[in-house]
Amino acid sequence: MIEELRRLREEALDAIRNARDAGDLERLRVRYLGRKDGRVSRLLRRLGSLSPEERPAAGAEANQVKTVLIEARDNRLSELQAVVEVDTVPPPDLTLPPRRKWRGTIHPVSQVIDDIWRIFQSLGFTRARGPEVDTEWYNFVALNTPLDHPAADEQDTLYLAPGLLLRSHTSPVQIRTMERYPPPIRIIAPGMVYRRDTYDATHTPAFAQIEGLVVDEGVTFVDFKATLAEFARRFWGPGTRVRFRPSFFPFTEPSAEVDVKRVIVREDGTEEETDWIEIMGAGMVDPAVLDNVGYDSERYTGWAFGMGPGRVALLRHGVRDLRLFYENDMRFLAQFT
Amino acid sequence: MKVSYRWLRDVAPGIGPTVEEAMARLALRGAPVEEVEDLAAGLRDIVVGRVLDARPHPNADRLTLCRVLGPDGEVPVVCGAPDVRSGSFYPFAPVGARLPGGFRIGKRKIRGHFSQGMLCSERELELGDDHAGIMLLEGDYEAGTPFARAADLDDFRLDVEVTPNRGDLLSHVGIARELHPAGQGGIALPAFPAGAGAGLEASFARGGSESASAGIRIRIEDQELCSRYLGAVIRGVTVGPSPRWLANRLRAAGARTINNVVDATNYVMLELGQPLHAFDLDRLADATIVVGRARPGESLVTLDGESRPITPEMLMIRDARQPVAIAGVMGGRDSEVSGETTDILLECAHFEPKQVRATRRALGMSTDASYRFERWVDPATMETAVLRAAELILATAGGELGGEVIDACPAPWEPPVVSLRPSRVRHLLGVEFSSAEIVALLAPLGYGEARTGTDAVDFVVPGHRSYDTLREVDLIEEVARTYGYDTFPSELSPFRPGTVPDDPMFQLEDRLRARLAGDGISEAQTPALGPARHGDVALLNPMSADESHLRRDRLPGLLTHLERNLARGVRDVRLFELGTAFAPGGKVGAVPHESARVAVVLHGRRAPLQWSDAGGRFDVHDIARVLELIAAEALPGWRVVPARTGAGGWGGPALDGASLLVPGRCYQVVDAQGAVVGWGGEIRSGATDLPPWADTVVGAEVVLPPPGAGLAVTARELPDQPASQRDVAFLLPAGTGAGEVLDAARAGGGKLLEEADIFDLYEGEDLPPGARSVAIRLRFRARGRTLTDKEVDKACRRVLKKVKGATGVEPRS
Repeated sequence: MIEELRRLREEALDAIRNARDAGDLERLRVRYLGRKDGRVSRLLRRLGSLSPEERPAAGAEANQVKTVLIEARDNRLSELQAVVEVDTVPPPDLTLPPRRKWRGTIHPVSQVIDDIWRIFQSLGFTRARGPEVDTEWYNFVALNTPLDHPAADEQDTLYLAPGLLLRSHTSPVQIRTMERYPPPIRIIAPGMVYRRDTYDATHTPAFAQIEGLVVDEGVTFVDFKATLAEFARRFWGPGTRVRFRPSFFPFTEPSAEVDVKRVIVREDGTEEETDWIEIMGAGMVDPAVLDNVGYDSERYTGWAFGMGPGRVALLRHGVRDLRLFYENDMRFLAQFT
Repeated sequence: MKVSYRWLRDVAPGIGPTVEEAMARLALRGAPVEEVEDLAAGLRDIVVGRVLDARPHPNADRLTLCRVLGPDGEVPVVCGAPDVRSGSFYPFAPVGARLPGGFRIGKRKIRGHFSQGMLCSERELELGDDHAGIMLLEGDYEAGTPFARAADLDDFRLDVEVTPNRGDLLSHVGIARELHPAGQGGIALPAFPAGAGAGLEASFARGGSESASAGIRIRIEDQELCSRYLGAVIRGVTVGPSPRWLANRLRAAGARTINNVVDATNYVMLELGQPLHAFDLDRLADATIVVGRARPGESLVTLDGESRPITPEMLMIRDARQPVAIAGVMGGRDSEVSGETTDILLECAHFEPKQVRATRRALGMSTDASYRFERWVDPATMETAVLRAAELILATAGGELGGEVIDACPAPWEPPVVSLRPSRVRHLLGVEFSSAEIVALLAPLGYGEARTGTDAVDFVVPGHRSYDTLREVDLIEEVARTYGYDTFPSELSPFRPGTVPDDPMFQLEDRLRARLAGDGISEAQTPALGPARHGDVALLNPMSADESHLRRDRLPGLLTHLERNLARGVRDVRLFELGTAFAPGGKVGAVPHESARVAVVLHGRRAPLQWSDAGGRFDVHDIARVLELIAAEALPGWRVVPARTGAGGWGGPALDGASLLVPGRCYQVVDAQGAVVGWGGEIRSGATDLPPWADTVVGAEVVLPPPGAGLAVTARELPDQPASQRDVAFLLPAGTGAGEVLDAARAGGGKLLEEADIFDLYEGEDLPPGARSVAIRLRFRARGRTLTDKEVDKACRRVLKKVKGATGVEPRS
């Protein structure tokens, strides 16, 4: 009997699949599952003729066949109904472009600043701010840069009045922050800076810079290298190599230029190393700077860096001319989604 | 600093072996090479040719027929010079060779004779101006040898980037000291090729502020500004061109050749870093040198022919009557060495850096000498320098030393002693160094160990670093530099959180950026510098009139970028900017008041061109939405309201003193206290320079609030009952705002009114002129119970009453 039930199930499923409308399905229901003359019901009536050992298995099989057939009928019914709906509403032209709104973009230099910020945030940094108009004290003198030292020439400064200037770097934020807060200090300070430069492919008179400053007990050159290398690997990729070269900044000692060598994966999957690229000036905070803000330079040590996100954005996007970032042509900006 | 690689190897044999290796080492020593130039690059094809015989060309007076032995044997050459000597050596460009200027030598027939190559003049090889004759090579060579090597021209010119603290690197010896593994110990000054051997012996006439020898007197009036002045007299010189080796050296280091005396002083400056000056002794009144400040009313014509306005703060070199040189900056024209000069006074002095810097800045000039004096010249090398220059002059210009070298030295130099604690080295660098290790690291740089105590080592600082290495930390840097920055381990340590809170203004800016970009507006960045506008803060030293003032508002700058886009044919422009604006700080020269701003400008289509409804062009209602977005992010209680009185208030965005916005077509943002903190609306057509096809421009600017703590939102419960809805239409006469009706409706609905919205606005011919029909949907709901029709009707009546009371408007029947 089980054999027979299975045969019946296959036959009925086949018929349900081929049903053309709800009427067909109803007729099939009556034919197979009808209480009186349904073929499954008729078979079931013969259960009594089976031996008591065979009876439970056959009963279970019969019930299962019923369930399967009801389910199959329901499925076919919703399929048929769906087809009906499709047939009555004309189909949309899915090849049309989507209905669009304008997409705004965040400036590529802001994006770089944001990415840098996120990395330093995860390394325990917060953001600090300072005024763009500042005094010679904050911009130079407190940063261990006497005005009669050739180092003050390096940054040709825009003045508003004697002693009052547009900051030529974000380093004054170091001083202002340390004046206001005790150690430990762990900040970055993005902001606009100004130089007396003419516009060319790598210079604009106003541009963004990011300062970083860490001051605490026990901060060493080893931490300094490690943190900046960690940043570089997170920003430019795990294969990035980092090089520290001696340099000079009046407010750090030892001072360093930091270079990175990135690994670029080409389209065919092969890897290529770039040249060394200079990415920031950095160093251990000069004790004179700590003394100038009233920190105990025998007890506290620290490190600082300054980098140009505009330059980083140039490298990142293969832009040849920095001026493009400040022309604000919609077609240029729209690319940086 | 431009240096010759060969010169470096001459003063410190053992440098190298390749220029690439030297460049890599310099980079890691803190003096990267910015550019390297192969000086023999243009001479690669040129060889030494030996003229076997030479005879006059039978068909031309000025031509010579030669047989030249070159790399490929003997070839006939027709030469344009009449004085070719048989048996002599000349630079020779064989057939196929390219001259430095790019000209390629071919086989030619000149007046009936074949010429297979060319004998070259200095000018043809770009080695000098002399084209009168071909360049005769002194000495003996193998024919076919590369000319650059034979003539000592195979050299590289390195342009080394020298930081302002490293005046000691402004010489070949200084750079060689960094390059040679033994440092200072690797330096060995070579003998001059033309000289009788290195080391001129001379005695010194030692004195304090004054000294004299052989009738020549030197007096220093201001020992603070000039601590020592050496004067060497050389009599009987013959001023003339420098020998070729000297000219080659100077050229390789990027200097010009002038004459044998001046070249000798330049040579020693480039070699040792000590600037020197040669006076024509006969031109110095009373054979006297006085180092002192200028007298009022004096002036001086310098070597370059400029008349310099000197002032009493400047230090001058004077003779008995008048100034003859600006100390440490430039000599005077009247006393310069010329072709007639026979006796010279060679100056080798030490000038105070700040004085030289102040003087040359006041005069708006910079010279090789001032550049070095400003950055400190090694006081310990003065005697070597003056003797070496004298020796070179004797070797190239002849003459003899006139008496003792006069040494006026009112303030003898003492090397500074700096104490260094190994514990402090570890404290700063994170690596343990023993005293012995530190001594070993510093010794090659010239730092002598004076005394080693239990906690510290005292170091004697060498003269060439005695201006910038005066503190313990300066020595620690030298330890790190010599050890090698890359040798230090790189290990992250645990850190303590900082005390500085994350500045909330950055957080607000981040939110606005995301919000506005999400609204389809792109972020721009414009400089805060602009042209003069009434009341703006002016720069003292602007680069151009277009960027001579600090912008008081950001919107005008953003509008210029709209103009630029439109000028380029870009029609759909949506820009916003976050930046600082600068208001005058009261008095002239006072600190301006800075405020953080957000500015927005919209022009063109409200949505991209597409098959679906385009949505029209931007208008004031769009700027109202943007203002609302900004207000919602800024501070609780900020509202956007129509500006009744036109642009004004806090001085709102204004251009050329006039309003930027069209009165009656703009909004204000007001804070919780009612103060105006922002403006937005239609930009006046006269305020911008736009093409005739431009659409309406709308723009806005808002002052960002001093960041305060944001309050957390208290969530409302969701309704538990169905709402009752009523639609009411009002007929608005001209001049009545739909928003006023809406506000009144909201105010009149009481607690039961959940929401009221305008869902239709109609103007049509069936309405009176100027009138509009406004349809408002009112939604009523109560908590915990279903409202009865009676209650809703009553609430509706209250709404209507309030609307009538506030605006006089009645519902349409």
